Amino acid sequence: MLELCPILEFRGVDTHYGDLHVLKSVDYRIDVGEIVCLLGGNASGKSTTMKAIMGSVRPTAGDILYQGASLAGVGTAERVRRGIAPVLEARRLFPRMTVYENLEMGAYTRHRGPEFEEDLARVFTLFPRVEERLRQIAGTLSGGEQQMVAIGRALMARPRLLCMDEPSMGLSPAYVEQVFDIIRTINRQGVTIFMVEQNANMALSIADRAYVLQTGQVVLSGRAAELRENELIRHAYLGELKVQ
Amino acid sequence: MSDYGVLLQQVINGLSLGAMYALLALGFTLVYGILELINFAHFNVFMVSSFVGMWALELLGISGQGQVLTGLALAGTLLFAFAVTMLAGGVLGVAIERLSLRPLRGVPGTAAMITTIGVSYILFNVILLTVGAGSENYPNPLPVVRWQFGEVIIELKTLLIWGVAIALMMALQLFVNRTRLGKAMRATAQDPEAARMMGVDVDRVVVTAFFLGSALAGAAALIFGLYYNYTSFIIGYTAGLRAFTAAVLGGIGSIPGAMVGGVLIGLIETLGGQLIAVRWTDVIIFSILILVLVFVPTGLFGRAAPTKS
Amino acid sequence: MTRTPARLAVFGITAAALLFPLVNQNDADIDSAANALAFAALALGLNIVVGFAGLLDLGYAAFFAIGAYAYGVASSWQLQPAWSSFWEPFQWLDLVIRFHTAGGDVVHFQVSFWLMLPIAAAIAAFFGVLFGAPTLRLKGDYLAIVTLGFGEIVPIVARNIPSVTNGAMGLNGVAAPRFFGFDFGIDATPYYYVGVAIVAFLILTSQRLKDSRIGRAWMAIREDEVAATAMGVDRVRYKLLAFAIGAAFAGATGTFYVAKLQTATPEMFMFPVSVMILVMVVFGGIGSVWGVVVGALILQILQSWFLEDLSEWLHALGRFVGVDWLQHVELASSIELIFGLILVLMMLYRREGLIPAARRTRTLSLDEQTVQPARSGFTNLAARDDGSRLPLLEIVDLAVRFGGLVALQSVELSVPAHSVVAVIGPNGSGKSTLFNAVTGLVPTDQGTIRFAGEEIGRLRPHQVLDRGIARTFQNIRLFPNLSVLENVMVGMHARLVTGPVGAVLRLPATRGEEAAARERALEILSLFGNRLLPRAEHPAASLSYANRRRTEIARALAAQPKLLMLDEPTAGMNPAETLELADQIGSLNRYGLTVLLIEHKLDVVAMLADKVVVLDHGEKIAEGPPAAVRRDEEVIRAYLGRSAVFA
Repeated sequence: MLELCPILEFRGVDTHYGDLHVLKSVDYRIDVGEIVCLLGGNASGKSTTMKAIMGSVRPTAGDILYQGASLAGVGTAERVRRGIAPVLEARRLFPRMTVYENLEMGAYTRHRGPEFEEDLARVFTLFPRVEERLRQIAGTLSGGEQQMVAIGRALMARPRLLCMDEPSMGLSPAYVEQVFDIIRTINRQGVTIFMVEQNANMALSIADRAYVLQTGQVVLSGRAAELRENELIRHAYLGELKVQ
Repeated sequence: MSDYGVLLQQVINGLSLGAMYALLALGFTLVYGILELINFAHFNVFMVSSFVGMWALELLGISGQGQVLTGLALAGTLLFAFAVTMLAGGVLGVAIERLSLRPLRGVPGTAAMITTIGVSYILFNVILLTVGAGSENYPNPLPVVRWQFGEVIIELKTLLIWGVAIALMMALQLFVNRTRLGKAMRATAQDPEAARMMGVDVDRVVVTAFFLGSALAGAAALIFGLYYNYTSFIIGYTAGLRAFTAAVLGGIGSIPGAMVGGVLIGLIETLGGQLIAVRWTDVIIFSILILVLVFVPTGLFGRAAPTKS
Repeated sequence: MTRTPARLAVFGITAAALLFPLVNQNDADIDSAANALAFAALALGLNIVVGFAGLLDLGYAAFFAIGAYAYGVASSWQLQPAWSSFWEPFQWLDLVIRFHTAGGDVVHFQVSFWLMLPIAAAIAAFFGVLFGAPTLRLKGDYLAIVTLGFGEIVPIVARNIPSVTNGAMGLNGVAAPRFFGFDFGIDATPYYYVGVAIVAFLILTSQRLKDSRIGRAWMAIREDEVAATAMGVDRVRYKLLAFAIGAAFAGATGTFYVAKLQTATPEMFMFPVSVMILVMVVFGGIGSVWGVVVGALILQILQSWFLEDLSEWLHALGRFVGVDWLQHVELASSIELIFGLILVLMMLYRREGLIPAARRTRTLSLDEQTVQPARSGFTNLAARDDGSRLPLLEIVDLAVRFGGLVALQSVELSVPAHSVVAVIGPNGSGKSTLFNAVTGLVPTDQGTIRFAGEEIGRLRPHQVLDRGIARTFQNIRLFPNLSVLENVMVGMHARLVTGPVGAVLRLPATRGEEAAARERALEILSLFGNRLLPRAEHPAASLSYANRRRTEIARALAAQPKLLMLDEPTAGMNPAETLELADQIGSLNRYGLTVLLIEHKLDVVAMLADKVVVLDHGEKIAEGPPAAVRRDEEVIRAYLGRSAVFA
């Protein structure tokens, strides 16, 4: 299905933290079905981007559009209902709830019905280990297992756009590979993915396109394949690239 | 009566008191779990509710302990009284949250707690100035029925307390574990930011916690009146101290903790009064409060130590 | 307020206070005024604990009770131990007399009121430390509950040990004070003047403490305890000091109050009294000395005069309008309702109180508002590199674990004196944890940290500062309600010596030290040119992000450190400001400071660092000169991540 309208767009977005100018006139565009990743070093504004998409941070200038419609004034719950689901930085499962209850919370904005069961089945197919641990208290799982549950929880919202904040953070290399594998599978099933990552190499290996952020500004963007060859990536990460 | 018999009787009494404290502590802990707020006003909501219960019963024509009902009439009357009292408590709690606490959400430090002290004072003094300082005789339709088991006496009202308390606690457990809103409450207590990201309306969760907590206080209030046959403006303070200590002992923010803590404090009060002296029970309870806060702040079932500074 | 109107106001108030009993000779009015003064004194004491140090004490009346009963017992007929020779020296000191009764000779205590004032204060101070000690590690509301607990226990104990306190019936026969043969008796006037003297003394003491090293330490603790300890404030000592001094105020006042009433009952000291004092402080202005005095006086006068008059008017109105309830309302008994309303309304609408503690600041000129970044570094620092390159900081095999999470593992780091060492690494690599371990904010599980040859791994943060290590924080921890200048002066805490006594007495030595400290702070601020100096009196929270960073660095410099640890100092600055600050750090280094720096702007690192250390996942993965490190394969992989297997 061809959709001309990008699923998510940032147009000239500025954000501030008090008087600190965090995002500076940032433009992104994510088309339906893509995997787009946002790269950047420490304090580049990656997390703020995620927060702006979910609605915890409001732009001080510019606009964020989802499926063509502006998100200004739209609350977080409504954004989830419209199809944007987050996988939060460091997982942030509800530590004293069971795995099953966490998954349920992911579907909080939706009605319980046959669709819920379908989504649950889908999550179990993707993450067999999660099905094994349904009654276990989430806080007792390992980091990698928690990441699986966190992704599963987001999928329970049946999102069109999945926003992932540093999915590889704190995971062992084996788990990192598994997670990225699963991200590709989910994408093939029709979910658009916008991912913030520090691990540029891994991210670029599965992404279609990428943006590189440095001190709140987009300094590089393009197709992932091109960026991987680009020397400038290393410079941007290691803090040498200066912007006019 | 032998010493053993006396002690056993005090255990029975302690369990009854404990059930009441548990209900009161539960309401308090529900709010703390979500907002990390010590709500002083909770205990005077309890006190005000007991007066509402009294007026509800008087409305039905019952006054004093003379008019006894049985069977369906009794059940219906009690149901009505509990419904009215719990509703009144709940509404009062929500009103307090909306008017005096919501504007302070996000203000760091102890401003919100100080406000609850102020609200507590207002409730206390409104009752004192309107109803007066005397003890009010509580209308009680319960027949006085006693059963003797060896050296121990169990009354109908004792069974009533246990029955109501257990029923309400089970209902609460069902609510937080089986309903959507209840799970949203637990999620918000564990990670409000993540809960918001799941689409939870945190404001609604807070209001629900206040409503439920205050309704439980209302139930405890009616139980108090029916058990002791009196109420007065001071009961918020006396019962409140014990319920508060119960919540802290059990682990503030923990629902099972409040239940266990309540029973323990009830037992400590009756046995302490029996074995040491009644006039020292306040000091004993306060000492337990201080010792738990200083040495084991997480209490029996609680999780992280208080993080708010 | 500038000096002259303030001085005039104080003079006017003093004159009014002194002349009051001559103008209004009604004994009942003077008595009410004396009571009001007692509560003003209590409010001043609570202000130190709650307002200055930020410790919410809900059981303050306990100290009032202790001081009251101390004098009561020491001057009444309550205690009558049997006479023995043990008591002879006391009789010689005129503290007791030998009294003949039918059952034998007993001791009658008659300690002088004037002697008892400081003694009661000391006893109360002791209990202040006792009750404060368990609360030291507790946060805001829990601290309040514990103090509430103590506040309740004291009157209950008083009620239940009738042999000492005469229980609920109260002590009576408490002796009135005597002044050079003049017996105070029951006339209110002499008590009134004593009250004025006490309040005046306590106002002076509060003011002096507030404007001293002690006051700054308290306010630093109130604003940000962690930053305060990192700047050298011993929080245990200062919290206990606040409790002790606050309690002392109440203890002395207790003596005064009981001497005037000539009786003491437990009811006088229960929770409602603690709340009333809190309401006075909140109403008047938390942290404001004159504010709480005014608050206390207004509320007391409200209670004793105004409400009765208002009730009369309401009665008349009731008769006029024909409303029965109005004719019978007694507002005086609803004072507690009014207190509750005041608390709620103040918290909702005017948290700073009637007379806020914060000061007004002048607006800046256009010149002062806009400053261009300059590239010359600090020009007025003479270079002082003595050439030595011995390691100033040595970290060997350091490990830090948080529960199951390993934050740092086998970290080795050596910082030669007078060098600049940069620590870099991706997010979550442990850089800030390393800083926290060195400065004592987190405990270490393994390894040693040596500074100038001394093992510092077990020291508390304020001791680390004292040894010569000062730091800044990644997310800037200034004291938001203190002025820029005050923030910097807190940095000097460990290098000054004035204690509470010196602060109150304001001896020449103290005044000199304070003036020199202020000079030095302004000098440090002037290093940053026109950016900070014009804003020296502005609250730190009102500064721009970049200026707050600079203030934090200035505060660290004020501690005269040998090692300056900067955690991402240029974060949030634009490229021009970044380079300006980098130059400034360079000149600090040439001046002799050793610098340990966390930075992720690698051009800054290249400019400044003699050596770069790279952390990843809590371990050191590379070390060397900046150019070499940047090309290191491991480093690149750490930043950019491992390649995918299915590439």
